Amino acid sequence: MTNIDNLIARLAQDEIRVKLAPHPFILSFQWMGAAAIYLAVSLALSGLRPDLLERFHNTWFVAEIVVLLGIFIVTSISAALLAFPDLYQKRNLAWAPVWMFALFLLTLFLAWHADSSPIPLPVHNFECTLGITLMALLPTVWIFYSMRKYASTHSQLAGSVALLSAFSVGALWLRLHEVNDSIVHVIEWHYLPMLAIGIIGLWLGQRVLKW
Amino acid sequence: MTDRTDSFEVLMRQSQNGDQRAYASLLKETSFFLRTFLANRLRFTNEVDDLLQEILISIHKARHTYDSNRPYKPWVYAIAKFRLQDYLRAHYSDQLRHAIDFDDLEENLQETVTETAISFESISGEVQKLPEKQATILRLMHQEGYTAKEVAEKMGMNESAVKVAAHRAYKILRKKLEKNNDKYR
Repeated sequence: MTNIDNLIARLAQDEIRVKLAPHPFILSFQWMGAAAIYLAVSLALSGLRPDLLERFHNTWFVAEIVVLLGIFIVTSISAALLAFPDLYQKRNLAWAPVWMFALFLLTLFLAWHADSSPIPLPVHNFECTLGITLMALLPTVWIFYSMRKYASTHSQLAGSVALLSAFSVGALWLRLHEVNDSIVHVIEWHYLPMLAIGIIGLWLGQRVLKW
Repeated sequence: MTDRTDSFEVLMRQSQNGDQRAYASLLKETSFFLRTFLANRLRFTNEVDDLLQEILISIHKARHTYDSNRPYKPWVYAIAKFRLQDYLRAHYSDQLRHAIDFDDLEENLQETVTETAISFESISGEVQKLPEKQATILRLMHQEGYTAKEVAEKMGMNESAVKVAAHRAYKILRKKLEKNNDKYR
């Protein structure tokens, strides 16, 4: 008991006034705002796909972009909640990416099903994965750096969701930049690697978000 | 403290504003209920004390993530559970490292554990080349004359683990000595 009393006395003598962490919603809005600027600048530099307006008349393309945007928003909010020990007592919202990914898979399945006369596969393949990864590097570093300031008790899940959030920025950029309408290619080289990245995030979270 | 639940939030708010007495009082109150929480989950008092200290330090480190508009206890328990899981994970993985390989045990069950036909001094050179733990066990048992039980107590292991480690060391030594004999034949 003496040890505990000594420790308490020592901790209380510390400078205990602290700068409080922002609300996770504010934190996630900061991330989203920065990512939106980053995406806009990247698209301005790399250029939008020339047939973008035309593509927006395609229901499944619009659905894919909207759900991808949804994944980005939901994973950003979830990552911010997961950075707090008690998930800011919003457990259901922290698990929302699961539902969003289910919706995303359903959208991709329906888009693939609707692709009755399959569009030929583009000649490139892994370059897309590489492009998404490079594009996601900066948001990854920023989001992890930011999360390390807090105290995640779900470091693996937090790492995975944070990485998915960063990679959804990369995926959005590529869909709005690259002229490519093969859903098979998109699933194979854009989204499946993204899911694998989520698994790497489990490992990364455990190491980077340790406190 | 008539209404404890309410007072935790108030104390934490005061603490975050720099009130050291409120902070000491909060940590003290917290340690009371966490002690019960840990005592129900851990076997030994020293484990409870060690982990309680670790949790209090974690609470201190994470105090900026607490918002006094939320209840205090779920926040504290989230940290306590996290540290407890960490502790149990480390504890069990350590136990697994020291676990007995039953195949090895069966294989060597008929052999004597503490007796060898060769004197320790004659093979001390080979013993030094063994992994540190095995070499220490052999030295304690055969040079200093401790029993397996005493060695176990000395090294903080259980008796069976000491016997198994000794067996493994004997096997390695036997192989080495056989190899050396073959060379000189």
